Amino acid sequence: MIDKFKEKFVEEAQDNVRDLEESLLLLEEDLNNMDIIERIFRAMHSLKGGGAMFGFNDLSDFTHHLETIFDLIRNNQLKANPEIISLTFKSIDHIKELLEKGNLESQDDIDEQNEIIKEIEKFVNINDKDTNEPELKEDESKVTDDESKTYLISVIPNEDILKNGTNPLFLLDDLHAMGNAVTISFTKNIPLIEEFEPIKNYCSWQVVLNTVESDNEIKDVFIFVEDECTIEITEIANGNVLNNPMLKKLIEEAEATQEFIKKEAVQELNFEKNKTTSKAGLKKKNLFKEHKISSIRVASNKIDDLVNLVSEMVTIQAQLNLYAENSGDPAIISLAENIQKLSRQLRDNAFEISLIPLQNELMRFQRLVRDLSKEMNKEIDFIVEGGEIELDKNIIENLTDPLLHIIRNSVDHGIELPEERIKLGKSPKGTILFRAYYSGANVIIKIQDDGRGIDTDVIRKKAIEKGLIDKDIELTKKEILDLVFLSGFTTRNEVSDISGRGVGMDVVKRKINDIRGEVSIESELGQGTIITLELPLTLSIIDGLLVEVVGKQYVIPISSIEKIYSVSDIELGKSFNKIAVIDNEQYSYIDLRDVFEEESIENNDSQLILVKYEDRRVGLIVDNVIGEYQTVVKSLGRFLKTQENISGASIMGDGSISLVIDTNRLIQYNASHKYKTKK
Amino acid sequence: MADKQLTSILSFFISEEIFAFDTDTVRNILEPGKITPVPNTKEYFMGVINLHGNIIPVVDLRKIMGIENAQINKDTVIIVVSNDGRAESLIGFIVDGVKEVISLNEDYALQETIIDINEKSSFKITFKGTLRLKDSFIHIINLNDIVGEIEK
Repeated sequence: MIDKFKEKFVEEAQDNVRDLEESLLLLEEDLNNMDIIERIFRAMHSLKGGGAMFGFNDLSDFTHHLETIFDLIRNNQLKANPEIISLTFKSIDHIKELLEKGNLESQDDIDEQNEIIKEIEKFVNINDKDTNEPELKEDESKVTDDESKTYLISVIPNEDILKNGTNPLFLLDDLHAMGNAVTISFTKNIPLIEEFEPIKNYCSWQVVLNTVESDNEIKDVFIFVEDECTIEITEIANGNVLNNPMLKKLIEEAEATQEFIKKEAVQELNFEKNKTTSKAGLKKKNLFKEHKISSIRVASNKIDDLVNLVSEMVTIQAQLNLYAENSGDPAIISLAENIQKLSRQLRDNAFEISLIPLQNELMRFQRLVRDLSKEMNKEIDFIVEGGEIELDKNIIENLTDPLLHIIRNSVDHGIELPEERIKLGKSPKGTILFRAYYSGANVIIKIQDDGRGIDTDVIRKKAIEKGLIDKDIELTKKEILDLVFLSGFTTRNEVSDISGRGVGMDVVKRKINDIRGEVSIESELGQGTIITLELPLTLSIIDGLLVEVVGKQYVIPISSIEKIYSVSDIELGKSFNKIAVIDNEQYSYIDLRDVFEEESIENNDSQLILVKYEDRRVGLIVDNVIGEYQTVVKSLGRFLKTQENISGASIMGDGSISLVIDTNRLIQYNASHKYKTKK
Repeated sequence: MADKQLTSILSFFISEEIFAFDTDTVRNILEPGKITPVPNTKEYFMGVINLHGNIIPVVDLRKIMGIENAQINKDTVIIVVSNDGRAESLIGFIVDGVKEVISLNEDYALQETIIDINEKSSFKITFKGTLRLKDSFIHIINLNDIVGEIEK
């Protein structure tokens, strides 16, 4: 049971961490933005509280230290600066580690944590020296005009409160987390050491709290200790009066005399109280409630199950349709049609649910660019457009690594150092533009940098050296650039040092191909590089064209098809190089009957299907075109992973199986190449 | 998996010989219906079948064992197994007929053996051991290894 809660906590903590990272990046742009600082503080506070509750004690302790800095910042006692932000980023990485490991066991880890805590304390201690200086003068006597209110809260715990494990200090922490607060401790009841009983509580407190939360929220803090505590909450003013000199005087007096601030004394100060604000508070609460039900958290495997079930249903539904048509019974036909309508909607809905916005992953890239560029002393603007674009969860999962790779390349090798850029007449600050947009049934992602670009001569030389191309072959610029995708082209050090690119691009291509995507590269020497990814919206369903090759049915994805010709109308070159001439244009073609190693039968209605392959078109010859077919693609499983021409299988209405052709790989492996592919 | 004590085995014929799988790994025994061939695969790879909406690859164990021109008759079956319990690992083996389930209620000291079963394909089959039952020998196939060979 507790494990389940723990899991939930870790999940939520990860959200908090993401929120922290996002806020920090924002804070870096706008160091004085109080809203952001507040957000950071809150995220840390939830981490700390949750951590303590679920046994992540190291996490809780660590976050406590970190939180102190931001508590100081939000109370205007410390200024946010780049060092603090860098340190916080470092700390966030540590928190991530803590979330993964639970509590620290190895000495190395503990040392590391202490190291960071030391750094944190440096900031906190600097500030300690400064606290004696007068605080910021602005706002001193002015009541800030916002929706917040100031309360006086007296917390008088019974002597026995410690017995049931309550730590009253946590309650005070919670109050501090709700806004700005000043706590006065009353310790006069602590007896002499001889009479002191460690299990008894002798302290009481008063807290002056400025918060936007309602008094109900404040009461909630004490909900579990109602019986062990006397709590008194008095609303003393609208807005923040913490800096009011009269109130300050009262607080100082109370601290000195160890006498409680009296309700009447505060009320004599006559702060403006405005009843309408309670309405605003109410409104806020309602908003909060609406927000609460606008989204729910569901385990991703449940979504996977749903999508699978819907896919099954689409298949069965096709069988029903077939049966209804054959039966000719109008009642069944109309029922089948209705079910078809419903299942289509259900399918669209289910797939929509499994889509998640790209945004969630982008944070990592922003982090990466920031960290890497700091490390390498480069200045880089990372601009994101289209973060709201949604993609299938499975695609996004498989996309992260390739994208990290591409962006790392851009930062590492693409963008030059500032001095170098000035010499070249560029702005010292480099730009990486990350752009995502819909294009038909695809999503296009472009990563563009304005760095040094790729030197095609170097690539060409390298490829010849490696024996990937012949010395005297003519290659277009694009073909040369494509060489970087060949496996065996890269050897980390050599290539990345000279050409500045090509680190593991073959891996990127393979991974993108695995999710039925395409990757292409454009580059202008001295001006930058653009890498374009073309991705399907979803993996599991495609529009296909059903074709026949020697009596067997195959599906070709419609998205890749340009045109279909009847073979009898065109002139096929019988020679070894397999060129078809269509409308005075030459295309190379592949006879699927040869590829699949079947005996071809003489056939007069052979068709040539022209499919897109990167920037050219290639013909595929099939025996017959049967028709259009929307289909659920299933994986062939681990035993057929090495099968290059087939990307999956689909179950037809009658329960039989059709194989789905992977046109990209088919062409890649079978079309005449100018360069030799290493398999 | 390999350390788990075998409690029962499913024995089957290939030609005249008797082999067996651990019953824990067996998911289904099917009549060989329509098998959709997959082009460009190894010779023993018969294709894929549709089992309750899942695509399952089918290999001919007889061809792996080096038996040429194996026929499909009324006794021929597909035994669907999964070596690690995952749906992704389901695979069907065509054999010449199922014999029986045998309970192993005593500690059999099984001797692991590796046999180059098919010289042409250099396909290695490991046996968890061989049982003697009356006049016949039953070779218990190590599924992990055979699946690993197929995956290569």
